[in-house]
Parts: sequence; structure tokens; C-alpha cells
Amino acid sequence: MLLTLLFCALFAEWVTPYDPLQQDLINALQGPSVEHWLGTDDLGRDVLSRLIFGSRIAVIAPAEATGLAVLIGVPIGLFIGFRGGWWDWVVMRVVEAVVSIPGIMVAIVIIAILGTGLHRAMFALGILYSTAFLRLARSVVLTEREEVYVKSARVIGAGPTRILLRHIFLNIAPPLIVQVTLTVGAVLLAEAGLSFIGIGVQPPQASWGTMLNSAASFMELSPFLAVPPGIAIVATVLAVNLLGDVLRDSIGRGVRVPSTGAPAQRMLAVPRKATTPMAPHPDDALRVEGLEIMVSPKGEAEVPVVTDMSFRIAKGETLGLVGESGSGKTVTGLGLMGLIGTGVRITNGRVMLENTNLLGLDRRDLEKARGNDVAMVFQDPTTSLNPTYTVGNQIAEVLRIKQGLSHRAARDRTIELIDRVGIPRPAQQADAYPHELSGGMAQRIAIARALSCTPKLLIADEPTTALDVTVQQEILDLFRDLQDEFGMAMLFVTHDLAVAADICDRIAVMYCGEIVETAPVDALFADPRHPYTAGLLSAMPHGQSGKPPLPVIRGSVPAPGHWPTGCRFAARCPYAIDACAKPVQMTGTDRLERCTRADELSLEPAK
Amino acid sequence: MLRLIGQRLLAMVPLLLIVSVMTFSFTALLPSDPVDLIIGDRGSEEQYEMVRERLGLNQPFLTRYADWLLRAMTGDLGTSFFNSVQVKDAVLQRMPATLSLTFGSVLISITVGLAAGVAAGLRPGSWVDRTATFGATIGQAIPNFWFGIILASVFAVSLRWFPATGYVPLTDSPMEWLRSITLPALALGLSTSAAIARQVRSAMVGVLQQDYIRAARAQGLSSRRVVLKHALKNALVPVVTVLSFQITVLLGGALIVEQVFAINGIGSLAITAVRQQDIPMIQGIVLILVLVVMLVQLATDILYGLINPKARPT
Repeated sequence: MLLTLLFCALFAEWVTPYDPLQQDLINALQGPSVEHWLGTDDLGRDVLSRLIFGSRIAVIAPAEATGLAVLIGVPIGLFIGFRGGWWDWVVMRVVEAVVSIPGIMVAIVIIAILGTGLHRAMFALGILYSTAFLRLARSVVLTEREEVYVKSARVIGAGPTRILLRHIFLNIAPPLIVQVTLTVGAVLLAEAGLSFIGIGVQPPQASWGTMLNSAASFMELSPFLAVPPGIAIVATVLAVNLLGDVLRDSIGRGVRVPSTGAPAQRMLAVPRKATTPMAPHPDDALRVEGLEIMVSPKGEAEVPVVTDMSFRIAKGETLGLVGESGSGKTVTGLGLMGLIGTGVRITNGRVMLENTNLLGLDRRDLEKARGNDVAMVFQDPTTSLNPTYTVGNQIAEVLRIKQGLSHRAARDRTIELIDRVGIPRPAQQADAYPHELSGGMAQRIAIARALSCTPKLLIADEPTTALDVTVQQEILDLFRDLQDEFGMAMLFVTHDLAVAADICDRIAVMYCGEIVETAPVDALFADPRHPYTAGLLSAMPHGQSGKPPLPVIRGSVPAPGHWPTGCRFAARCPYAIDACAKPVQMTGTDRLERCTRADELSLEPAK
Repeated sequence: MLRLIGQRLLAMVPLLLIVSVMTFSFTALLPSDPVDLIIGDRGSEEQYEMVRERLGLNQPFLTRYADWLLRAMTGDLGTSFFNSVQVKDAVLQRMPATLSLTFGSVLISITVGLAAGVAAGLRPGSWVDRTATFGATIGQAIPNFWFGIILASVFAVSLRWFPATGYVPLTDSPMEWLRSITLPALALGLSTSAAIARQVRSAMVGVLQQDYIRAARAQGLSSRRVVLKHALKNALVPVVTVLSFQITVLLGGALIVEQVFAINGIGSLAITAVRQQDIPMIQGIVLILVLVVMLVQLATDILYGLINPKARPT
């Protein structure tokens, strides 16, 4: 497109079928015909020829104006950026003033001084758009000046001129190129506008703007006249803008990050026989059976992130879901609520909340269950509250929508709840915005909101991880108090065994998307049955002395899609034998573990 | 909030001063002698001096500026060189047409931009998104006056749904006023709609990935409510910013679009003033336009504070 434009501009004389200025009043205002492909204008001039000659202006005009804008803007911007102080202040105030006047008006005033005509109009636009380049150059200088490597260059002894040349000119190039394309597009539009109102290119010279000017006057007689020059402008500006987009993308992205994980090694987890189903128990608040979650990364095959996940939580009980990052804890928590995002799908299993399978509900019933029956507290309280509404509003909203409370009642109950989670001056704090609260306070609010409808199950996803250590303990105490009062079951997701030990009744240890061991807290710490659990326990920092360096489990967690078909921990396990290459089931009655050698191993308890 | 408004109003004063110095000194650079333009070639020496004195052009530059500034502060922007019209009256008489157009286009671009942006941002990559993004790209490349010509030839000339030219003041007939500004405002609002749609789309895509959206869903609020209440307010923040930038674009664009629809607004006043080199008129127009821009930007600042509590002064 742009090449065609350049070609037309360069070889206008040879390409055009007619002289663009040759008049033929008898054949004026004709539609497209064989002789005149795009018809003729009010003076019988060939529209196509004028269009092609107009392309010359469309090349010259932006080149002139943009060139001038760069020549004026960049040096001044560099100068004031470097000089700073008084110079900077004055110039920036002038720039602000220019920018606050509508651009066309600035151009009109400058044209008033210089007179009409293409080159003068472009001079005016050049001055106008130089402000953009000035700001850009200035900001580049200011950022670069602060950059560490400029400082270090100064220490090494390079003179200030060399710093300016080397560092700043290198960094200014990418944004400058993008700004040039933006300006070219803007100048094209502005030139057309100025020529259209008769103070840019002067007739009879052909420019797309002047052509539209005459087209507008003969709108009733020949509406077609406006089409060719308009399309020419739109197509050209579009091409320039798209070029700018492409440049911005390619420059902005910089060095492409190589994609992790070679697809060739990717291997799907072999479907394995699920562990025998658990018998329902009347005391169960939640029973998860054989949950399987798959993720499809962009453009790649679907891989499992959670497999054969089964556990139960009794009423009023707290189950800790513990594992390293990437083990699938968080996605499990979200999966229970049906809150998984696009590209993630639950392919198997049941989530029985009392007698309802949450996964079997339709959208509306699921929305109804969320909040009322099951609620969630997230890791980072400062991002899980909406920044644009007061915290009181966000709790009251839930009470109104989910419980049908009136505004008045919702407000009263909100203040009660805020008081209950231990926030002083609750009525006043209800009117605070999230950013006005500390992380601990914000998490208390999030807890108050989650509990506002007294759910049967509360899922807490690393609720203390983002908080200060001192605040962590307070929030854990709060959870315990609230559980005594509200009697809900809790699924407490954490990577921190110490936190889990503090708050949970039982712990489920996760590794590579599956549970490897489930046991009551004391039993798990005193007598770990799975080597991975033992590894985690020995890696726990403990108070007495730091004498032996923390033991580390060797190797690293394989990414989803790279899990072995047998025991997923085998490659890192000091006790692995040949039998571990086969898939392993959960075994046991009171406590469960997924290890072939569970019965013969005696593993070291927590210290 | 009142303090913020007060501060912003005060901050406008130096900017207005700089604009006034600039326009005044620029207009002093005009190549032709306005006196010559007024009395023509055949004027005598005495006539020349008389006019020169009447216009105050025999005074030194600074005196003229100070004199003009003092009177401008009392609301007197001087008299046109060519007819004894008060600049202020002329500008104020033309202002309603230009402002109707501008604010009409603001309304249109908010409505269109928001609707298209939200629809696109809800499902990135869907056909709705691709259509809207494509439309926005085209919309930003179409010159407003050309779109005006096309609208006029289709809806005014061919279909006769709207008048092709002219402006009816609101006080004369609200219905006719609306009809007279519909097409021009549409033409003017196109590129701003596109700009807003792009901003809202990317803001929406970003906001929907935020934790608080997931948390609101976890609380069992309906998707509709989550989008319209929780996401939209956050996605509105960039809209306000775009509007504050676009107001100069729209006002400037109005000057050109007015020409398509033969609306006697500031545009034709400015073009005539430039052709005649009518210095007081040019100065007055620029000053009042800048004042309008600043007031609108003040309004968007206040709006910004209402939408985004973090931006409020504490």
C-alpha cells in the first residue's frame, strides 16, 4: 500500500491518464466511465489523475512536517532534559500551553502569520507536532540520566557529552520511530483538514483535502466525488498506523523469550486406575472424589495439573492442603468453586458439598451456591478487594444480593461483621477504601465478606502468605475463633507446614497434582509415611539452632506434562526401587499414603 | 474536593497567561500591516495615522499587551478590526454551535466507545472483539470531515432524514437542534469513539484478570453484576483520561466539521479572522477556546477522582 503510494508520487506524470489540471467543462461532474475511471470533478478534470497527483502531496506533506517536528523537537527536548532547571521549566510551560490549544487552532494561527500554502501549512504542523518529540526526547533523557549505567559510566570517567551520545541516542531510537509513524498519520489527516477548509494546499493544485473540499460543495449533484480521495486518505493513514503498530510490537517486545519446555518431551499422564471411592460419611461437609483438572497452554496439547484428587473434610474440621508451588493446590481450591479460567477444564470427579455435586450444577445454581454454601479467601488481600468501592459497600453488596437484606439491614450487619473480625471503629472503617487499609486489615475485611453468608465451607488460599509474620499469627487466630463460632469446614491451602500445623486438624500433602499423604497433624509430624512428606518436614526451619544446614530435597519439581508414569516422586526419592516405576494408589484406612514402600520404610519425624 | 477544584482553578491562571503572551506575540508577528488591510491602498497618510492610533498600534508592544491583558481580565477582549463587533460577543454568539457539536460528539463517543470496548474486552479473540478492534483501527484513520461528507450525502441528501446544513439553536427548537447536530456530532465523534473503544477494551481485558474480579465471582455475584459493577468502574478510569486528551482534538475537529455542514460556529469565525488578519478576533478565539479546554479538563479531573478513590487528595 505504502509502496504504491510512493510509486504514484514519484511517477505521477507517467502514470496519470490525463493532465490533472486540464479542464473539460462539458464533461464536468461525471460518474465513473471508460475514459474517466473515477469520473470527473466540477471543472471536468479527471479524478483519477488528480488523485494520483494528490499522492505526491500525501508523501511530501508528512515528510516535511514530521522532519521539521523531529528537527525542532528532539534537540530542544534533549537540551532541556539535560540542562534542567529554569530552561526546562519555561519550555515545559510553553509546551503545556500549546498542547492545551486545539491543534488545528494552533495551525490556523501559525498559518495566519505565514500565509496559506502547502509548505507553510506543513511548517505550522511541524511546529505543532514538535511538542510530542520534545516531550519524548526530554523524558528519555530524564529516565536515562537516572539509570545506573549512566552513573557508572560517569564513574569510569566518560565525559557528559559521551554519555549523552552513547546512552541516550541508543535508547531514544525505538520510541522515536514509533512516534514518527504516529505523527505521519496525524499530519496526513491534519493536512487534509487544513486543505479542506482552504488554508492548506491552494487550488488548483490537487491534494486529497482540496478534492474533498470541492466534493463537499457538489455533494447533491455528484456524491461519488467524495469517495476516491476519502478512501485514499483512509487507506494511507490506516497503512501508516498499522506500520506503527507493527513497529511498536516488534520494538516493544525486544528479545523474544524462548518458550520453556521442549514439546517433544511432553508426555501425557497415562490414565490410571483411580483410588477406590470413599464411602459417604454423614459427618462430611465436603467430599472430593477423583478430581482431575486439565490445562491447555496456548497452542499446545492439554496436560493434567491435578489427578485422582480425593479427600474429605468433616463439619467444623480444617484440612490443610500443603505442597510446593506448582503442585496444583491453588487450582484445586479454585476448581472446587468452578472458578477456573479459560483454558482450564475439569475432566473428571465429583465435588460433594453435603449432598450436592457442585460440578453438576448449572451456572445459575453454581452462582447461588458460591457465597452462600462455599466461600473463598485469597492470598493477596490488597488485590482481592475492588479498589474503587468502599470495603463496607463490598460486604453489604453480598448481603443484599445473596441474603436479600435491605440497604439498612445490610449496612448494620456489615458493621457487625467488621467488628467481629477485630477491626476497631467498624462503622468508620466500613467507609474506607481498600488502599487505605493495611494488608492485615484488608484480609480481615476479605474474611468478613467471605463469612457474611455463613457458608458451610471456607476455602482459604494462602491467606497469610502476603502478610507480615506478626500479622500472620493474628489472622490464624481469627480463623480459629471464627470457625468455633460459625462452625464451617475449612480447606486451608498453604505451602508453609508450620502454618498448617498451627491451624489444621488434618493435612493433605500434594506433589505433582496428586495427594501423596493424608494424616492428622500430629501423626503426620511424628510419623511421616511418604518420603516426600519426610523431605518437607526435614526442610522445615526450626528454632533451636541453625547448626546442620537445611536439608534440601534433591532435584526439582517436574512441570505438568513432564510427570513420570510411575511414582511421580521416584526420581527425587532416596528410597526409590524398581517397583516405583509403576503407578501407585492411595492406600490405608485411617491415614492414606501413595507409596509402594510405605509399610517397610521408617522415616524421620519432624524435629 | 472543593480544595482540589480551587487549586486547579488557581493553576489555570499561569497557563492562561502563557497562552495569552504566546498568542499576543504571535499575532504581533503577522506579516501584513492591519492598517493597510483596513484602509486599502488609496488611504492617505493622515488616514493611516488615524487608524493606527485608533487601533493603538502606535504604542510599544508591552504597553499594548498590558493594556489588552487588563481589559481581558475584566472580560473585554477588544473590538474586531473590520466591523465594530465586540470580540467577546462574536465569540460567545458562535460558541453554542461549536460546543453543542463538541459535547454531542463526547456523548456519542462515550456511548459507542464504551459499548464496543466492553463487548470486545469481555471475550478477547472472539469475533466481536476482532470486529470491534478492526472497526476502531479504521475509525481512527477516517478524517472526520470526510465521514461528515459521507454521512451528509447518505442521510441528508439521499434519505433526507436530517438537514444537510445549518444549525438551529437549542432555544429555538430543541427537536430541530438535535436534528441539526446529529450528523456533525457523529462525524466528529468517530475517531474519539475508536480511541475510547481501544482503551476500554484493553482496560477491560486487564481488569477481568484481577483478583478482585475472581473474588467477586467467588462470592457468588452474577457475571452480569461482576462485569457491570465491579469491572466497568475500573475500566472507566482510562476513558476519563482519554477524554481529557481528546477534548482539544474534538474542539479542533469541530472547527473543520462545521465547514462540512455550513454551521456558523467558531470555525468559520476563525477562518475569516485569519484571512482578514483580524488580530483581536484571533486572540479572543484562542483565549476562549483554551479556557473551555481547561474547564473540561478540570471536570475530567474531578470525574477521575470520583471513579478512582486512589487519586483523591487525602
